[in-house]
Amino acid sequence: MSAAGPTRAMLDAAVLEWMREPPGTASDADDARFDRIARDLFAWQFERCVPYARFCERRGVTPDAIGSWREIPAVPAGAFKELALRSFPERATVKTFRTSGTAAERRGELHLDTLALYEASVLRSFVLHVLPELAGILEPAPPAPSPAGRPDRRPRLRILAPSAEEAPDSSLSHMFAVLARELAWRGTLSDCGFDVSGGEVRVDELLRALERALADAAPVVLCGTAFAFMHVLDALASRDVRLALPPGSRVMETGGFKGRSRELTRDALYGEIERRLGVPPERCVNQYGMTELASQFHDSVLRFPGTRRRKLGPPWARVRLVSPETGEDVAPGEVGMIAVYDLGNTGSVLAVQTADLGRAIGEGFEVLGREAGAEARGCSLALDEMLASSSEGRP
Amino acid sequence: MTGVASNRTSAGEVRGALARLRAAGAALRARPASATLDSLARLLDTWRDPESKARRSLDSALPEATGFTLEVVRAGLSHALDGTGGSDGSGWSGAALRALVTHELGGLDALEGRGMPRALGPEVTSVLLAGALPTPTLQSILAPLVLRSPVLARTSSSDPVTARVVAASLAEADPLLGNCLEVVSFPTGDGAAMDAFLAADCVVATGSDETVARVAERVRPPRQLVAHGHRVSVAAIGPEALRGPGRADVCNRLAFDVALWDQLGCLSPVSVWAVTTESGLVDRLAEDLARALAETQTRLPRGRVPIEAAAARARERAEAEMRAADGRHVLVYGGGAGDAWCVVREDDAAIRPAPLHRFVRVHPVPDSDALADALRPLGTRSHLAAVALEGFGPDATRVEAGLLALGASRTCRPGSMQSPPLDWRRDGRGVLTPFLAPARASGA
Repeated sequence: MSAAGPTRAMLDAAVLEWMREPPGTASDADDARFDRIARDLFAWQFERCVPYARFCERRGVTPDAIGSWREIPAVPAGAFKELALRSFPERATVKTFRTSGTAAERRGELHLDTLALYEASVLRSFVLHVLPELAGILEPAPPAPSPAGRPDRRPRLRILAPSAEEAPDSSLSHMFAVLARELAWRGTLSDCGFDVSGGEVRVDELLRALERALADAAPVVLCGTAFAFMHVLDALASRDVRLALPPGSRVMETGGFKGRSRELTRDALYGEIERRLGVPPERCVNQYGMTELASQFHDSVLRFPGTRRRKLGPPWARVRLVSPETGEDVAPGEVGMIAVYDLGNTGSVLAVQTADLGRAIGEGFEVLGREAGAEARGCSLALDEMLASSSEGRP
Repeated sequence: MTGVASNRTSAGEVRGALARLRAAGAALRARPASATLDSLARLLDTWRDPESKARRSLDSALPEATGFTLEVVRAGLSHALDGTGGSDGSGWSGAALRALVTHELGGLDALEGRGMPRALGPEVTSVLLAGALPTPTLQSILAPLVLRSPVLARTSSSDPVTARVVAASLAEADPLLGNCLEVVSFPTGDGAAMDAFLAADCVVATGSDETVARVAERVRPPRQLVAHGHRVSVAAIGPEALRGPGRADVCNRLAFDVALWDQLGCLSPVSVWAVTTESGLVDRLAEDLARALAETQTRLPRGRVPIEAAAARARERAEAEMRAADGRHVLVYGGGAGDAWCVVREDDAAIRPAPLHRFVRVHPVPDSDALADALRPLGTRSHLAAVALEGFGPDATRVEAGLLALGASRTCRPGSMQSPPLDWRRDGRGVLTPFLAPARASGA
């Protein structure tokens, strides 16, 4: 990086400033701003993350030679399993998140020297896409007073994932802990709790919390992994329980079923959620996130109801859909590999090539998954089926 | 009648086909078994001729249907049927079929029931075809017919062609036998049609472990299930073949094995282990293999690559580049824009994902014991098919025995992986014996 380039503190400050701006301002669509920060950040990371610099050089790309952020090489997500992609001294590490997997499997790791950007990104994205009617809380304001002497009708946040204390290396648990802390501090939500412990969903505790919400007519924000939802739905079915959660209730689920004994399509999952919990599909939001990224993408259904479901991200995280054959952007409407450029990843690398395929829809995109249902043409075993690698998803 | 049904067969039509096959089977069993064996032997001999009607039909229809190039279709069929690269040179001929009957059943007398219990297959066999390779389809259909078990074949979405060409060949060669093969097509999600299809006395299923398990749940005794799981093949090159000019020749033959059927067959090598303690020899093997794959591409161009597979190849190549960038001794050849092949020289012996479509890894391993250790995960899970071996000198017998003990069902020289003999025990079982009633099969 040139001596005149911004320092890491300046880069972090520039991204944090963007994350803390009120949503909906013109800066959200400021491509020049994204391009400027992305190129400065690339130069910083190229200088300090030696394997990444070698990877880029092998492709003939250096910070001085690019004309746009789109030319920044994306690191395959699987590389986070094999090497430490840090752009800071190892001793400065304050947190390491790990991808899901068994003890025998190699797990991907994201090393962080600050949690500030991760947490700021999480809060704004979640509020805008899951609680859009409460977007006002993102404005600087004092906490709201707690209601007293009358039913507490604030939304309840129930989380189908282990707590951050129980799963300290889980980015998902950390995300939910940040949301619970920040939203409770702002007086936005009440009765926040984690309903997975010891690897099991505490169905009785969850049901008691849902019954309290029903008694108070308070909407429920039910969040968690898709697999945990399936467990809850199975438990409700075995007890023959059907609930109609109060109006305004919603669901946010994330992750998939890879490696699990049972799989459901997303449509089937949402159908079961509607049947057992009374939350219709148009109030169910899928979050697309990865341990290797600071920022997440969410379905548009609550933010832009009545429009086609698509994934939307914050303005500091952008997506390219790339041809696997040429590495170039695919034409609009064509399927490509999803590469995420996340300015929140200041401490590692900002460009991550995911293992997923996607297609652009308007200003967003849809995720088609790794296998779009094509029948195998041969009888040879693609060894990854046998190796059961689990680079997708987060714990 | 040759039952080539409409493009989408209903459950009722499947039931109708099964009923017709039961009636046709009675007529088939009423005539001498030798007549059936003669017809099937003639069919194989006819198919060996590249100018035969059947082969010309496959040449004209398979590339579009399956995504393989015409060059690969022609070379793959010739290699398997003519036996041009086969270890015994016989290929899939009428004589090879008769030899198979002798080898597995004891000869024509067993089919006729002369002096021994009659070797007879199930009343009707349903064959759930999978994948785009025509040769497994041909064998899956012919085997039950040898035992006079009529066949209801359901085409795979990747190859709607081959089974119909077999049916047309049979009908032309032997109308009675032609009545004993019906071909149906319906989507996997059509539960009613699948239920009707799986109601046969015997079901042959090929596919992933998951697919086979799903079929097994629905085919309970006394009905028979003959399952073929997905497998993987590899190569091991010993010290004697890693040095000198012979190495280039080995790589040319390995490249041919990789290129046939675009590495999608279970006999296609996905990884090569170089057995040596000299790192430089491993590098040179990878270089030579890359050169050979590039040259082979001009003769046998690669076919279509679905975007899911292309994405997997790009991902694996990029991950290898990252390992190299991290200072590990990993070398990446090809795989960029415009390259139809990729070779990754790894720095360890550990098995890694195989994205197929001409993507080969070369691993170093110091000795044959370490080779067995590296392949053990495949053997433990019964996923190992063939191993190509060369360059082990006097140690070859011991190495081969070790690999067979791990579960490999075939060993051969590089260049002949894709031409197994007709009696290859694909999953460690015979070709014909699985269709016999259990008591007869155990005595066979």
